[in-house]
Amino acid sequence: MSRYILRRALRSLLTVVIVFVAVFMLLRLMPLSGYFPPEMIKEADEATRMVYLRNQGLLDHPMVQLGRFVGNMFHGDLGRSLTVYPKVPIATLLKEKIPVTAAFGFASMLIGIVFGVGLGLFMVRFKDKAGDKLGTVFILLVRAVPSLIYLFFIQVWISKWFNLPLIFYKDRPISWILPTICLSLSSIAYYALWLRRFMVDEENQDYVKFAQVKGLPKREVLKRHVFKNAAIPLIIYIPYDLLMIIAGSLVIETLYAIPGTGGLLTTAIKSQDNNLVQVIVLMYAILSVIGVFLGDLLVAFVDPRIKLTEGE
Amino acid sequence: MKMKRMLALLLAAAMIFSLAACTSSGTQDQGASAADAQDVLEGKTYVDTYKTYFSSSYASFNYFSTAYATVREIVSNCIDGLVEPDIYGVYVPSLAESWETNDDETVWTFHIRQGLKWVDHTGAETEYDLTAQDFVDGIRYIADPQNDAYSMRVVRNLISGLYDYYWDLDDIDCGDKTDMTREEAAARFDEMVGVKALDDYTVQYTLDSSAPYFLSLIESSMLLLPIEYDYAVEMGDDFGIDNEHMLYCGAYYISQFERDKAITLTANPHYWDKDHVNLATVEYQMISDDTTSVEMFKRGETDYTTVAAEEYLSMQGTEWGDKLIPTDHSFSTNYLWLDFDGENPEFNAFVNNENFRLALMYAMNREAIGALREPVDPSRILRNTINAEGAIFDSNGKDYTDYSPLKEIKEMDYTNPDLAKEYMEKAIAELCDADGNIIGCEPTTVDYLPVCSFAVDGKLPVTICYVGTDDEDEIVMAQLLKAMIEEALGTENVDFHIEAFSGWTYGTVADPLNYDIYFDSLSTNYADPSGILTRLTTDGAENVGCYDVPEYDALIEEALAADTFEDRLQKFAEAEAYLAGKGFVIPFISSLRGYYMSYCVPHTSPLTLYGNDKYKGCQVMTEPITFEEFQALDAQYDIERAEALKAK
Amino acid sequence: MDEKKKMPAALDPLKFRAAVYDQIAGEDVGFSNYSYWRSTLRTFFRSKAVVFLVTAVLAMIVMSIVYPIVSSVDPRAVVVDPRQWNLRPSMDHFFGTDSLGRDIWARAWYGARNSFLLGFAIACSDVGFGTLAGALWGYNKKLDPFFVELYNIITNIPSTVYLVLLAYIMNTSYLTLFFAMASRGWIVEARFFRNRILSIRDSEYNIASRCLGTPMHRIAFRNIVPHIISLIIMEAALCIPYSIGSEVFMGFVGVGLPVDAITLGNIVNQGRQSFTLHPYQMLLPTAILCLITVAFYVIGNKFADASDPRNHV
Repeated sequence: MSRYILRRALRSLLTVVIVFVAVFMLLRLMPLSGYFPPEMIKEADEATRMVYLRNQGLLDHPMVQLGRFVGNMFHGDLGRSLTVYPKVPIATLLKEKIPVTAAFGFASMLIGIVFGVGLGLFMVRFKDKAGDKLGTVFILLVRAVPSLIYLFFIQVWISKWFNLPLIFYKDRPISWILPTICLSLSSIAYYALWLRRFMVDEENQDYVKFAQVKGLPKREVLKRHVFKNAAIPLIIYIPYDLLMIIAGSLVIETLYAIPGTGGLLTTAIKSQDNNLVQVIVLMYAILSVIGVFLGDLLVAFVDPRIKLTEGE
Repeated sequence: MKMKRMLALLLAAAMIFSLAACTSSGTQDQGASAADAQDVLEGKTYVDTYKTYFSSSYASFNYFSTAYATVREIVSNCIDGLVEPDIYGVYVPSLAESWETNDDETVWTFHIRQGLKWVDHTGAETEYDLTAQDFVDGIRYIADPQNDAYSMRVVRNLISGLYDYYWDLDDIDCGDKTDMTREEAAARFDEMVGVKALDDYTVQYTLDSSAPYFLSLIESSMLLLPIEYDYAVEMGDDFGIDNEHMLYCGAYYISQFERDKAITLTANPHYWDKDHVNLATVEYQMISDDTTSVEMFKRGETDYTTVAAEEYLSMQGTEWGDKLIPTDHSFSTNYLWLDFDGENPEFNAFVNNENFRLALMYAMNREAIGALREPVDPSRILRNTINAEGAIFDSNGKDYTDYSPLKEIKEMDYTNPDLAKEYMEKAIAELCDADGNIIGCEPTTVDYLPVCSFAVDGKLPVTICYVGTDDEDEIVMAQLLKAMIEEALGTENVDFHIEAFSGWTYGTVADPLNYDIYFDSLSTNYADPSGILTRLTTDGAENVGCYDVPEYDALIEEALAADTFEDRLQKFAEAEAYLAGKGFVIPFISSLRGYYMSYCVPHTSPLTLYGNDKYKGCQVMTEPITFEEFQALDAQYDIERAEALKAK
Repeated sequence: MDEKKKMPAALDPLKFRAAVYDQIAGEDVGFSNYSYWRSTLRTFFRSKAVVFLVTAVLAMIVMSIVYPIVSSVDPRAVVVDPRQWNLRPSMDHFFGTDSLGRDIWARAWYGARNSFLLGFAIACSDVGFGTLAGALWGYNKKLDPFFVELYNIITNIPSTVYLVLLAYIMNTSYLTLFFAMASRGWIVEARFFRNRILSIRDSEYNIASRCLGTPMHRIAFRNIVPHIISLIIMEAALCIPYSIGSEVFMGFVGVGLPVDAITLGNIVNQGRQSFTLHPYQMLLPTAILCLITVAFYVIGNKFADASDPRNHV
């Protein structure tokens, strides 16, 4: 087991390094002109632009830049943002933004799992009856209607009907309700959809038929046997999702003016903010390999049939 | 049915506007409007908090090195300059109590208010005095290339010695200059650069050329603001990254700052003019969506909102219909830029022909383009000149754009497809042989990569490649342009295609000449046409299209050498008329858009034509102002302003 | 006791006669005319909802192919006169005109055609490559570490990074968009199929087959493919609406389509701008988009159910 973990950790480290170096070098392929905000490039002549590039260390060889970044990182310095938040230390930025996004992400994930699993169970319990159909309609609505339309509707109309604030305020908990609901809608649909699917698949298994023949009530069969087996493919993603909630949601955070990380990476990439991009990518890569690993551990823990061994 | 109602609405709106235009041009009885204005404010109650919003994040408050002009909105309330405009736009003392200039307006001396100190983000006074040295240090700060003050072209070319000093330091930084150390070069600042503290409270600027507009430059450029140098050096890169890493000397300080979320401005208790500060706090929320801000205004959660023209239509007839006020001015002009030296041989041959450029100009239905942004009254936003109307006045109060021959251009109606076709035929007759082959033009592949590449056959139709951003509104405008130009000039003569390039930057499109036509804007930043016009000369920084206009250059030279300000404006007007009239640049609409609703009493805060709004003096009511009230107050204000300008 | 003894007496002795040996009927035993695909389809079409949705989808596909051929309305024709912009629905324009006076009815069908084509292409590539790679990955344990790392690397590099680069290198075109959208989906599908294949491969009946010496290809085609074919179809069905939706994001990053290309995604995107004032501009394209999503989702799921032989009885 420990040998497995060690080998796995080494391989994960390799993944992270490859991802990071690849992104780092890809960023350096971008044209130099992309580093200038429009107002500057109109004002500044060629020479002034070169001054700017040199000051930011962008003219150095990519390997030199890589060395400098890694060196600074081991001294606890993640560098400063380049174009999105000029000169603001990236550590400060992340410290400000991650807690907000994580709080919303965690709350909505919790709601998503609780209600999603609830809805899924409900739908299986009343399979092919009104309850199941109603649930399916909800899932279809969430998945089929372009999200911008229903999010807009929720923000403007639901907030009016229930007299809720239109945007997020840090000091008014009542304003946290709508964004959390919006964030959890798609995960409720996701969990309900797949749990129902897996449970329905599982119900056709022989052991279920056996349990029924044995005379166990349907409730009991679903609870004791079907649910446990059907949940495993879902459980495997939970640690990953949990760690990656810090990525946030671009649309919802924009709508409710939540100062989180949603869209930070996309904005940074589009503005060629190399320093910010590489830190975020590094962070996400580390978290996601950890997430996947924890997922495997968790499954091995809940499902005694699965053993973690290196494939032969 | 619906259509009719819409039309009626449009007509009604147009009538209101023409009425508004009448009243503001002073046809109404003077006494009556004064009385109206008083009635309007009768019984109003005021509050001392103003809730507003910002739509894109404030990345940094470092007013010297910011790449984002939006920062000025906050900075102009927090850092005072030497002078400021009053509510009529007349410059009055601010941190400078008085000032004088020499005869040719090249040396400006300011006497600074005494006994002021910088305050910090808690509103407490710091140990730092506000002195003349802080203004000198402001220039010292931007003069160091390592401080990244990059939009400094105007200032660097104006203040004597600054240009050389800046490049000396830079040469040392990149190792081209080794005969002195950086410290030695920096020590020469006081002798080299034309800004001096004559004593603790007198600062003197020496300029390379006559600058009658210097006061408006102080208003518009953040680079002439003061800085506490010791503090800034101590902060280093952290200077201005948030409210805790900067010092304040304006009417407000930033008491709270949540990045991308909220900003609170609190009145500075040590401000020199605190009696005229009516609002104790200004609360900003970040709202990036227009619909949200309108909705929040309706629910009383903000005191101000802009309203897009389309929403204006949908709000007519509701309780908010009478509270919509048209946005009144924008000094920014939208224009089409042409590529005179690109790789497309077909377009190249034609664009250098004056008839073709005129054909393009007359082919555009400017009113239709205007209607995209302003469906109610498109003519309100049309503009044929490069510099804006109402931005620059001579000493008699005559508008710069009323100088002939610019006046003729300003008043010209350019929408004339038939004339466009005539010009096009003339151009074809001059440039093509009988079979429609463009003379001297071989079939080739035009390489505008990374934007696009396409093949041209050297025959008519002329291929025109419009390169724009992928902004939805701009794409719609480009599609309309295409339809208009192809309709007027005929698809047998022109083939207009549009590239929406997401990576649109000057470095990828404009600079390497990877376009035939693009769309951009220029803004009149201070009270002199030179701000834009000197950049448009044959080797000017803004001439990215590489045209060759010796006649224009000569007129600009003459204007810069003119003896009086009136002569100067006259020559500039001739130059601008030359450039715009011959279609080297095609200005067509202003950046003006939309409407707004507000709780503020209009015209209570300084008229900042070139800078950003200040809250000093601003009065906020307990209910939104209606359009009717606004008109009454506006009429009264126009009379007062005319008097104030005359008195100056 | 008495009761029990009585019971045999109650049986009808006639029913316990020896049968006459019938040679023909004897041959018949043990064979039914069961066909996997026929049963699948029969089960599939038993549901009324499915019949309706399949008809609707077919109708839409036919309409989106036929309309551009027979119609004379140019969906790109911009009108210069502002009075023709944002028209309400009328007999000339069934769903009104957009902000430049273009007919929304015509645009919606051109858009539907292009979006369908794109969606099918992406679905084929994602699921096709995904299945192949998934089969390799699932079947060859030596390749497992390689694929795991490849998966981690591809999913960890934010797509925006290489999409922005791609946008910089390539022109906007359908091909670029296809590349951009197909660049990552396959590995996700591969992982999904690998997991399913692993579980099927190690199930008892396959182990039994292997012990009996059934050749590999026979196991693959007889035992495994029928099992995952339903998944393949379901994944492909879900892929189509997804790719239509994600096209909007691609436009945001910059690998969108040329400006005169019409797809459902960009019609909805344009309509969103004036949603409050002209909601009807979004009505038709959104309705088509929703119908496609719902239809493919339901069809995919029902087909998965129908293709499970245990549901055929």
